[in-house]
Amino acid sequence: MGAFDWTVIIKNMPFFMKGLLTTFELALVAISGGLFFGMLVGMARLSHIKLIYYPATIFVNFFRSLPLLLVIFWFYFLVPIIAGRPLGDFVSASVAFVVFEAAYFAEIVRAGIQSISKGQEQAAYSTGFTYAQTMRYIILPQAMRNMVPSLITQTVVVFQDTSLAYVIGLKEFLRSASIVDAREMKSLEIYAFIGLVYFIFCFVMSRFSKKLEAKRGAAK
Amino acid sequence: MIKIINVSKWFGTHRVLNNINEEIHQGQVVVICGPSGSGKSTLLKSLNGLEPFQEGDIVVDGVSLKDPSTNLMQLRQKMGMVFQRFELYPHLKVIDNITIAPIKVKNIPKKQAEEKAVQLLERVGIPEQAQKYPGNLSGGQQQRVAIARALAMEPEIMLFDEPTSALDPEMIKEVLDVMIDLAKSGMTMAVVTHEMGFAREVADEIIFMDEGQIIERGTDKSFFSDPKTERAKDFLSKILI
Repeated sequence: MGAFDWTVIIKNMPFFMKGLLTTFELALVAISGGLFFGMLVGMARLSHIKLIYYPATIFVNFFRSLPLLLVIFWFYFLVPIIAGRPLGDFVSASVAFVVFEAAYFAEIVRAGIQSISKGQEQAAYSTGFTYAQTMRYIILPQAMRNMVPSLITQTVVVFQDTSLAYVIGLKEFLRSASIVDAREMKSLEIYAFIGLVYFIFCFVMSRFSKKLEAKRGAAK
Repeated sequence: MIKIINVSKWFGTHRVLNNINEEIHQGQVVVICGPSGSGKSTLLKSLNGLEPFQEGDIVVDGVSLKDPSTNLMQLRQKMGMVFQRFELYPHLKVIDNITIAPIKVKNIPKKQAEEKAVQLLERVGIPEQAQKYPGNLSGGQQQRVAIARALAMEPEIMLFDEPTSALDPEMIKEVLDVMIDLAKSGMTMAVVTHEMGFAREVADEIIFMDEGQIIERGTDKSFFSDPKTERAKDFLSKILI
């Protein structure tokens, strides 16, 4: 162990933390944006109206069939063209993640809605509720409870996947490590530290999800 | 009040409703019975547009369900519905189950809706359950909450879809008593049920359905003492042990 020099971690801590903050920011945007659009797309996937059902289904199948890395690259070149000016790597990455994750969250939302019995919908309609009211007050609150474990799992996946934004030069957590490494040449120590941080966050989240699931099982 | 005119419905190639004609007048209690799969529940759910049908028309208070300009949401406010499996909202307390539609659909102030809900819970005999969640109630209590929930919208017509079929025998009476009470107060009711005791006591008309058709109709007295068709005789002999 004497060969390892851990002081490199302490010395560069502020720089690492800046990277970690960017990672958290990107994850937060990806998860909240992905969940918001995923909810709309998930509901659209259950529509009886073909003009709503088919575009949503094509969207989901398309993005679930592409590697995330490719989507990140693609939006990196596409976003400036659509916007008409360069918007920076964080915005490009955010757009890519939101679009990509929306496809995954949509499937979670769809399954969650389908887990609620048709009778609940009929009961709500029978009292004069509109579709939107039925979703908002009756179906989604129940579906959300069923979705929580899958949503947390997906959150963990998104958190890990933000490291892929490395390829477009975004200074997230992993990129900050490679920058420090290029200067300090302490690859083993640096990447061990980075790995440990990813591991702790993901492990805690998945334990949390397990606990929620057990609690829900007990409540039933 | 409700006119069913030549209604037919298919699931794929299977005809579940075959040329149904029927009229329900204000204050009438119509009991719909028949073997399972005969189309009773489908017919009941087509009355408030929960089940679409391909042919014919249903007219409620002069409003046609087939007319594309008809506002189904508005029409359903006149028609309360009670389901076989209760379908209370498990994430809401009993009181909120009852008040959510009046508050969200009719924009009634929360306090007023809650006062009304308490009155309704007293009417169905369980005012002490207001703050509980449906999961903590017995089946009979849940179904009485469901009746209160439907009544909270002050409907002109109540539809019951096998309201006692999912209940343990000792709880059937508490639900039927509430329904009998409601019938005697002058509520217009369409009830899919096999509870012939209920039919005897309050039904103005009994419809017997088989294979998507109404094959016999009569008053409670004529239907029980003198069924015309073999199928109805056979059915009655099976359920009136």
